[in-house]
Amino acid sequence: MGRGTRDKVQQFVAITGASEKVALQSLKASDWHLEGAFDVFYSQPQVAVTNSRNLEDLYSIYKEPDADMIMVEGVSQLCEDLQVDPQDIVMLVISWHMKASTMCEFSHEEFIRGLQSIGVDSIEKLREMLPSLRAELKDDQKFREIYNFAFSWAKEKSQKSLSLETAIGMWQLLINERRWPLIDSWCQFLQVRHNKAISRDTWSQLLEFVKTIDPQLTNYDEEGAWPYLIDEFVEYLIENGVVSK
Amino acid sequence: MSGGGPPRKRNFKIEEFKNRVELNPKYAERTWKVLEHAIHEIYNHNASGLSFEELYRSAYNMVLHKYGEKLYGGLESTMTRRLKEISRSIEVAQGGLFLEELNTKWMDHNKALQMIRDILMYMDRTYVPSSSRTPVHELGLNLWRDHIIHSPMIHSRLLDTLLDLIHKERMGEVINRGLMRSITKMLMDLGPAVYQDDFEKPFLEVSASFYSGESQEFIQCCDCGNYLKKSERRLNEEMDRVSHYLDAGSEAKITSVVEKEMIANHMHRLVHMENSGLVNMLIDDKYDDLARMYNLFRRVTDGLLTIRNLMTSYLRETGKQLVTDPEKLKDPVEFVQRLLNEKDKHDKIINVAFGNDKTFQNALNSSFEYFINLNNRSPEFISLYVDDKLRKGLKGATEEDVEVILDKVMMLFRYLQEKDVFEKYYKQHLAKRLLSGKTVSDDAERSMIVKLKTECGYQFTSKLEGMFTDMKTSQDTMQDFYAKKSEELGDGPTLDVHILTTGSWPTQPCPPCNLPPEILTICDKFRSYYLGTHSGRRLTWQTNMGTADIKATFGKGQKHELNVSTYQMCVLMLFNSTDGLTYKDIEQYTKIPASDLKRCLQSLACVKGKNVLRKEPMSKDISEDDTFYFNDKFTSKLVKVKIGTVVAQKESEPEKQETRQRVEEDRKPQIEAAIVRIMKSRRVLDHNSIVAEVTKQLQARFLPNPVVIKKRIESLIEREFLERDKTDRKLYTYLA
Repeated sequence: MGRGTRDKVQQFVAITGASEKVALQSLKASDWHLEGAFDVFYSQPQVAVTNSRNLEDLYSIYKEPDADMIMVEGVSQLCEDLQVDPQDIVMLVISWHMKASTMCEFSHEEFIRGLQSIGVDSIEKLREMLPSLRAELKDDQKFREIYNFAFSWAKEKSQKSLSLETAIGMWQLLINERRWPLIDSWCQFLQVRHNKAISRDTWSQLLEFVKTIDPQLTNYDEEGAWPYLIDEFVEYLIENGVVSK
Repeated sequence: MSGGGPPRKRNFKIEEFKNRVELNPKYAERTWKVLEHAIHEIYNHNASGLSFEELYRSAYNMVLHKYGEKLYGGLESTMTRRLKEISRSIEVAQGGLFLEELNTKWMDHNKALQMIRDILMYMDRTYVPSSSRTPVHELGLNLWRDHIIHSPMIHSRLLDTLLDLIHKERMGEVINRGLMRSITKMLMDLGPAVYQDDFEKPFLEVSASFYSGESQEFIQCCDCGNYLKKSERRLNEEMDRVSHYLDAGSEAKITSVVEKEMIANHMHRLVHMENSGLVNMLIDDKYDDLARMYNLFRRVTDGLLTIRNLMTSYLRETGKQLVTDPEKLKDPVEFVQRLLNEKDKHDKIINVAFGNDKTFQNALNSSFEYFINLNNRSPEFISLYVDDKLRKGLKGATEEDVEVILDKVMMLFRYLQEKDVFEKYYKQHLAKRLLSGKTVSDDAERSMIVKLKTECGYQFTSKLEGMFTDMKTSQDTMQDFYAKKSEELGDGPTLDVHILTTGSWPTQPCPPCNLPPEILTICDKFRSYYLGTHSGRRLTWQTNMGTADIKATFGKGQKHELNVSTYQMCVLMLFNSTDGLTYKDIEQYTKIPASDLKRCLQSLACVKGKNVLRKEPMSKDISEDDTFYFNDKFTSKLVKVKIGTVVAQKESEPEKQETRQRVEEDRKPQIEAAIVRIMKSRRVLDHNSIVAEVTKQLQARFLPNPVVIKKRIESLIEREFLERDKTDRKLYTYLA
């Protein structure tokens, strides 16, 4: 999206309280004229209007007493209220909507913006949205975005790479959605052979590997420019007889 | 017409004969009879009785009066009849006379034909062309062909006779070559088609089966060299045969028959023959046999290819054994010498026997390149070889000899894939040579550097040249030091300092050790002198690389001059104040690192002829509980005793690992630089192309490992120099 269009979307959202999705729809329908978009919007049956006042109230429930952020305690309270486990993958999806920069922390803006984009302004409404949020993981395109987002979100702010332990945890969470049979071998391999942090390139390429290469490695191509860690993983699998070549 | 006086000047008109003289048919018949008779007489060798002028005129008249057809037809039928008779006379000839008779009659026929043609010249020139008939001479030849050569009784007999004679000659008998020449010339005269169909084709077939049989026989009983000799002889024989009595056009055909039957069909068996094949010839330097093989095989398709392939696989096998045999690898200098000898040997073979054929030279080069790189210590060993030569091997050699040896070494150097490893070792060895002053000739050293520079460029040798510069500068510095400070120094020990620029010399971390006080004083004086003239520099004493000359007096008053390493000096000087010291004492006083100290003490106490120290207990190895005493009883025939060990030698396993690791580390930035260079100009490139380009750019120094290249690419992605394309995983983009 160009900067001009992005501005328009944000303005629309701020004024109407609608979700980003609706904003986009309306603006497109009106050929990116803000005025026309309002007409379109208000003439349509309302889908999800969020009340900014409610959102602020909601935020103040969870925010830290002496900082303008929601931190660990707030997050765990949120999870309790939503009746989900903090490790539940839906929290990742929510964080993605919020474009949160680090796990277990939400800034003021991230929180408000995120809930607006989901289209809810209360805990109950958010709880109702949980199934459809979970369903977003089934969408190929969204899954990839969430997966790649997870790397920046899960790593330390100052680091370039993701620590191995965290990576393995994230992988087990995420890749499980895809039901990849080799996930355990992968984690084992990393602990035994690699024992170092994971680079962004390796992270994003693993998803491609999971999606395109079949578990028996019949279509694995040595010349395929896979990151060397994946090449070593393939060797490891062959050495240990998990696959035959 | 009136003759007599000069023509008078009046209009003279010659009028046509008003009466046409018609040749009446009877007259024509009579004229023909005359001519017919003449023809017979000519064939009967009775031509002398004939009048050429009369006969010519008769023929002329006949043609003029439109009896050309009769004349021609008569000629044809007369000659035919005559030839049939001749044919019979040839048929009845017995045995050897057959060919002679044929030849004689042919000669006669030709002579007759000539005369007849002359007589009938007018007809040949007028009637024949206008009626599109065959000219007389050609007619004569065709009739001969049809009635003699192709006569059923003569045709096959002629062929069989000829082939039989040729066979006899091949089996060693002498035959009448002149007669053969004549006959084959006859066949050629009758037309190339006659020669080919009636003689050449069957001749080639029969020859093929003859040589096929002979080659089978030979190959069972002869060894390779003899077989080739025989083949060569047969080939020469056939060429000789052609030049003597066959048509020149047959040469190429018969030689290719011989080549096919004797060489091409047995090529593989010959080169692979046990105990006498190509490999044995190479081993035994059989230049003549090899040259013969080369010349013969050159004539057939893939002949040289066969030789070259076998030679290549033999060289690779032999070379591989040479570089992997642990026995042969014990002495690096000998190892390299053996390589050079192999190269020389095969160079000579290619030169003398294979006519310097470039394709063979290339095969030799590629084989050497293959097996030299099978052993990853080759670069180290070649450097050690050069070190040996430059330290002592070339002593007393002339300038040309030096050049020859260095050029040969450069040849081996070119085969190395890992030239950067060689550079590392060469630097180490050169450093040792320079510092111990043990080089045979400065010119030889420089010559080697120049050769390396020509081969690899300035970058390769800039540090090496820096080393030489340092040595020279140090000399100047020392001169200046002594000139300025001589009064201050008085009677102390004489110092000779080599100042090494860190970047140029092989880096070795050197923990300091405690120098004896006398030495310390003068070293400090030097340090302050140097830093006085060169501010902003830092000097670190490399105590692991120095040497010292010590004057020692032993029990019975014998004086010796000991040449030792700096460490050894530190140890020995301790014994000036006491006679005995424990290992631990020595370690404490000198602070020399343990492994170096042990080696140092071992060379001072455990080597026969150099044991200036006595060790208790008397054992070969140094343990931390040993005690050492000054050996009063030391004797040596030499006044100057050399104990130091600063000579370049084959590295131990751990040292080798370390060097290799350093080389690998050095390669990483080079690979990255190449990747960045390539991506900067190409902007977008796929993985395999990057690998190929990088390999191409770096191959002059070493062969990069594709896995390492991949890791470097990923590192560059991490550092945001490159990124992967979003849609095609194999594509990378340069990030400006």
